[in-house]
Amino acid sequence: MNRRHFLGVSSGASLGLLAGCASNPINISKANVVVVGGGYGGATAAKYIRLFSNNSAQVTLIEPNTEFISCPMSNLVVGGHTSISNISTPYDNLSKRHGIKVVKDMVTSIDAKQKTVRLASGATIKYDKLVLSPGIDMMMDRVEGLQKANQEGVTVQAWKAGPETVLLRKQLESMKDGGVYAISVPTAPYRCPPGPYERACQVASYFKQFKPKSKVLILDANDDVTSKGGLFKKAWASMYPGMIEYRSKHNVVAIDSKKKVIKFDVQDDVRADVLNILPMMRAGNIAVQSGLANSNARWVNVNYINFESTAAKDIHVLGDSIQVAPLMPKSGHMANSHAKVAAAAVVAELGGLEINQTPVLTNTCYSFISADEVVHVASVHQYDAKDKTFKTVPGSGGLSAEASKLEGVYAWGWARNIWADSLG
Amino acid sequence: MFFQSARTLSKLGLGISAVGLLSLSTPAFSQSTANSINQMALAATCANCHGTNGVGVPNAGMPQINHLSSEAMLTQLKAFKSGARTGTIMHQLSKGYTDEQLQTISNILGKK
Repeated sequence: MNRRHFLGVSSGASLGLLAGCASNPINISKANVVVVGGGYGGATAAKYIRLFSNNSAQVTLIEPNTEFISCPMSNLVVGGHTSISNISTPYDNLSKRHGIKVVKDMVTSIDAKQKTVRLASGATIKYDKLVLSPGIDMMMDRVEGLQKANQEGVTVQAWKAGPETVLLRKQLESMKDGGVYAISVPTAPYRCPPGPYERACQVASYFKQFKPKSKVLILDANDDVTSKGGLFKKAWASMYPGMIEYRSKHNVVAIDSKKKVIKFDVQDDVRADVLNILPMMRAGNIAVQSGLANSNARWVNVNYINFESTAAKDIHVLGDSIQVAPLMPKSGHMANSHAKVAAAAVVAELGGLEINQTPVLTNTCYSFISADEVVHVASVHQYDAKDKTFKTVPGSGGLSAEASKLEGVYAWGWARNIWADSLG
Repeated sequence: MFFQSARTLSKLGLGISAVGLLSLSTPAFSQSTANSINQMALAATCANCHGTNGVGVPNAGMPQINHLSSEAMLTQLKAFKSGARTGTIMHQLSKGYTDEQLQTISNILGKK
């Protein structure tokens, strides 16, 4: 990077975009960082590598979608309380404000030895550091007939916000009053632990107003509600009595798309009108294909101090795709937190500096139990050098005392701020 | 204190930063650069809710913090941590940080 470019970007910084960074004189302008995936993890990493490197590192973000659609808040689209456009953010600020090269493409392979990634378009890009934040993919083959049922439009996941979210909403709107919506919950870990239970609330809030004879069935492979259990159960009993039914230990093994029947390993079959079937999940395809998913061929093991893959040097993996530390949820907020720790480590390593020995992560997760009432769970995770993992701090974090509209306001405040923090 | 020197640098602005590039090889300076990145990363744990560098989205619904001086911010964070101030979530999150970390966050995010 030449001096003029450096000064130009820095003057942008003085507009207040990174006022606190003026004291950091690092310059790693010859470093090429490639970030794969523009979700909460990848977009944040791209932006913060620029911020922490004084806008000197060359950052390329590879993302196939034209805009970011948030999974958090997307259950409100299912419930009919907001729209997809309200939860979408374009990628252009990452290029305009932060000088990131955003490439609309997909990575098809990674060569960790040559330190290159190959794109679907055929191009090859060289990296000094690769940041991989590919999210999750569904293990469709774990449920017999699910792929076919999906293709026929009988089942839907809507676990990546976008067209499927809209499709699920349409299916609910088309369903007759007196029908059954069933959502299956896979064995943990999966993306967004409280998500299925929040979605059940959202569907019930719609039914309560427009289709009061209808029913919501939660078919959970786990022994009990995996997140905010007390708060959700209270909401189901008090706000949606007789409408939401929770069944634990219901592990889906097959779908009969003709009869719209869900089959389990032990329990009796269930027929439903709208089938929201969530199979087990694993790291995004590129992590599995490239051999980085070295935890049961499902998740990526990382060194938590810098989120570098244990399988490949200079590849840092973030977000839902990693094998988590104890009590670390697969959430958007957590992915954003991972990204900042990884960004600091990437910049330090490229600059020949010692990396942070005491990184900190936080998580905040709000769930809407109605259109505007919300409950949260929050945690703080400090790095433990002895055990080389993140641990929650005893006495910190916790749940809402009860659902409130005030937290509904904060939930939207959280969303707008984290979207700006990741993409703005 | 690092913060005082960082603030001095900050006040002097870009000229000093650009000159500083030449001295990256000095061990003491490298350490302060590493510290600076680490401190920014720590303060960034607040940004998810309160905005990058503590500058929140206007009228988004989340309390703004960027009008607070470092001293006022630290007082509030410590009040949340001790339980003297109640809240929906900050009393839970503040307990996850050491006093030193809260001091660092306040120094970085407090109004300059």
